[in-house]
Amino acid sequence: MDYLFSYDNWEWLWTGNNFKFLVEGLLVNLQIALIAIFFAMIFGLFLALMRISNNRWISIPAGIWVDVWRNLPLIFIILYLALAIPSSWRDAYADLIPDFLPDALQDELVLGALIGLVLYNSAVLCEIMRSGIQSLDRGQREAAASLGLTYFQQMRFVILPQGLRRMVPATVSQLITLNKDTTLISIIAIQEVVSAGSTLASVNFGVEVRPAYLQVFIVIGLMFIAINLALSRLSRRLEIRERERTGTKIERVKGIEDQVAAEADVTELR
Amino acid sequence: MSDALDLLTENFGEFASGLWVTIRIVGVAFVIAMVVGTGVAAFRVAPSKALNRIGGIYVETFRNIPLLVLLLILFIGVRRAGLPISAWVAGTLGLGLYTAAYIAEALRSGVFAVGRGQIEASLSLGLTYPRTMRRVVLPQAFRTVIPALGSLIIAMVKNSAIVGASLLALPDLLKESRVIQSETAQTEAFIWAAVGYLLITVTVTVIFRRLETRYAVRR
Repeated sequence: MDYLFSYDNWEWLWTGNNFKFLVEGLLVNLQIALIAIFFAMIFGLFLALMRISNNRWISIPAGIWVDVWRNLPLIFIILYLALAIPSSWRDAYADLIPDFLPDALQDELVLGALIGLVLYNSAVLCEIMRSGIQSLDRGQREAAASLGLTYFQQMRFVILPQGLRRMVPATVSQLITLNKDTTLISIIAIQEVVSAGSTLASVNFGVEVRPAYLQVFIVIGLMFIAINLALSRLSRRLEIRERERTGTKIERVKGIEDQVAAEADVTELR
Repeated sequence: MSDALDLLTENFGEFASGLWVTIRIVGVAFVIAMVVGTGVAAFRVAPSKALNRIGGIYVETFRNIPLLVLLLILFIGVRRAGLPISAWVAGTLGLGLYTAAYIAEALRSGVFAVGRGQIEASLSLGLTYPRTMRRVVLPQAFRTVIPALGSLIIAMVKNSAIVGASLLALPDLLKESRVIQSETAQTEAFIWAAVGYLLITVTVTVIFRRLETRYAVRR
């Protein structure tokens, strides 16, 4: 306790640029999370459409694909891709990445991390979107078909606008998981907040105060708690509003911890 | 393909011991998570604002912190503070405390699903509050949360890989396959690790599907 609260062990926080250094690291995490969720939503939507297809040759392979990726540990996927991605892809990534993005993203190692995050999260989002779409009344689809709309038109104008709207809250709570998961890429040596913390606690930046490891990581933890707390409040709000509007409850996706928590959040309020 | 099979047969001992370590980490962490989670859930539904708040702070803290950061605090942070904590204790404790927050949330929603009426009826029959919880509410709450517990165990299996891959370096399935990969320079080592993880998660899914049909409460 003395160690935890001693002034000497906290002095680093307001000395020099230490705190700024951590915040810059955290921004890398948030940027990677946003980029990953953007692509994961696109791929997730395609996977969801494949999974609900009436054609078995499309729906079954898509189902296996999704079940495999979401049942593997994310850190495993990231470590595997760090080895398995051909170096020509990495070179292409280094060429293509726009200059205005931060230095951490310019690193060619980020490609493997991004692909891993997208593969895992697109599988999860696929399930979220599928349950959103399937929670719609069958009549919607039948009515659209009886109006003479083609399959594409039914999806584009009737099913997806309603189904995807319903899964916005669940997607926001998946973003919480994704935010936490971005710390895993420190294991493949990408410069983000956890690596920044380790650097801070091991090297002295020419200031007289040496940051204590425990305190550095408590600060990093608190930063994540603050951001994710805001996101979970937002998700809960959206969920309640959506429920008041439609009066239906969406089936949660199994095997994902934050979906369990999101479920619990709203049962309290019914 | 036969290369991959050779890799498995030659290193079967390592893969099996890694799988066993993963199962042990998850088992110990699950016990911790159940005990702590039930306690926190009790705090959250207790008829006291102060206890509710303490439970709420626990849940929001452990739910929103990245597991990797929690493990680094518990292992390296605590060690630097002068307490020689072992990787096993830090790993299982970290995973357990992290999952406890989710178990508490699931149990709490299970308790709410039981309904006010039953609690009031039981209290009016003269049962004390703890007795009401133990005899009336919790048995039903546990049954409603069986599917959620299944989800959480699967999440734990996946999260246990973080314990092996981070600085704690417990020799779990992922760690063993990385060692084999670096020794043999064959990426197939990872394929077998994936098969191992899928074996565990599929088994858990099947077990919980059976539990669900057996004990399910239809509402």
